[in-house]
Amino acid sequence: MTITARPAPNAAPARLKVRQNIDSLSAQDLSDFRRAVKQAVALNDKRGFEYFASWHGVPFGWCQHHDPLFLPWHRAYLYWLELALQSEVSGVTLPWWDWSKAAAIPAAYSSAQADGAENVLAKAPVNPFNATRKSGWPTETSRAPGEVPQTPGPPYQQEWANAMKATNYTDFSQRIWAIHDTLHVWVGGTFAQLDFAAFDPLFFAHHANVDRAWRIWQAAHPGANPPADILNESLQTDPALKVSQVLDVHQLGYEYAGTQSTVPGSA
Amino acid sequence: MQRWTSQALAVPSRTSWQRADLEFEGVEHDGASFVTHVFLNNPDADEATPRTPEERYAGYLTVFAHGDCWGDVGHCDILEPVSAFDRRPPHPLIPFDATLEITEALAALPDDTGQMTVTVLAFNKNGDSEGVLRFKQLTLLTYA
Repeated sequence: MTITARPAPNAAPARLKVRQNIDSLSAQDLSDFRRAVKQAVALNDKRGFEYFASWHGVPFGWCQHHDPLFLPWHRAYLYWLELALQSEVSGVTLPWWDWSKAAAIPAAYSSAQADGAENVLAKAPVNPFNATRKSGWPTETSRAPGEVPQTPGPPYQQEWANAMKATNYTDFSQRIWAIHDTLHVWVGGTFAQLDFAAFDPLFFAHHANVDRAWRIWQAAHPGANPPADILNESLQTDPALKVSQVLDVHQLGYEYAGTQSTVPGSA
Repeated sequence: MQRWTSQALAVPSRTSWQRADLEFEGVEHDGASFVTHVFLNNPDADEATPRTPEERYAGYLTVFAHGDCWGDVGHCDILEPVSAFDRRPPHPLIPFDATLEITEALAALPDDTGQMTVTVLAFNKNGDSEGVLRFKQLTLLTYA
């Protein structure tokens, strides 16, 4: 599938990258994605996976939760990480885990072995960037699905449908972050700890699906933006982006497979 | 499991609203992540109570939380801006408001209910019986 958009008003249309369902990736695409993550994990500078993982909780604590910046901040977060991965392996994109339909962690992220080696998507080191390790910090990521048994598990089909019925941004944001929180707690382990969750590669498949939900909802509700008073706010990333800069995924160079897309014609 | 039951909240006549929300104001999220299950007018609800309309089950709220303080002494103290020129983002641990839509559950109560209590069962991975859900106040909001 080829989708194009203009990166700037007078620029030539450029091809958008398409994020795909993890269960739909070809063997080659999955292998390329694993290679990108593995190479990024091996880097101990600002190009590396651990650097980006460190934005969310320990040690930087830049993430936004339970407020209207939740969706914009995480969209910016994924945008910067995806570019870093594309610098490692050209053309890779962040896959999404559709927990509105899937009942378990995708096999691509849960199998211990892949491509004849340890599966880099199943477990990752926790090495907060430029920080001195403190007592109690985990050394690697962990998951324990259902560790709080009273937490409803996926699929969240009904909750997803309810979120999509929202008619304004605030309602949508609240409903989707509620599902997001539930999934984190259901997965358990370090995935349920806000300060360490982003060290797990699964985090980004989860958030790609959150971002996809927003994209789908936006397509159905043109102009239903976040509150006007936050559009000019800076999102704390490196470098920073304003909320208004992340509203249109085409201006960030990507799209999700299977969603509606409108691009300029030839006139 | 922590169980908390509210004082009575006033419930307006069914004909006066189309949507109802419970708003948990000032929810703390510095501890372990947790899930809550919410019942209306069922103060005896416990872990074994079926989460069904017959038991006046209203839904669940889950909070993805920080787990502990992972920094140096004072790292998790919520400080006020040091001046009018302080443009740093708000502290990550500032409590937030969590909303649970309870339209169907509230509509299912008898119309002459007049008031109701809210019982919340809160669970975390440690099995704590207190301090799981900490919040400032609970408000029933209805919308015409």
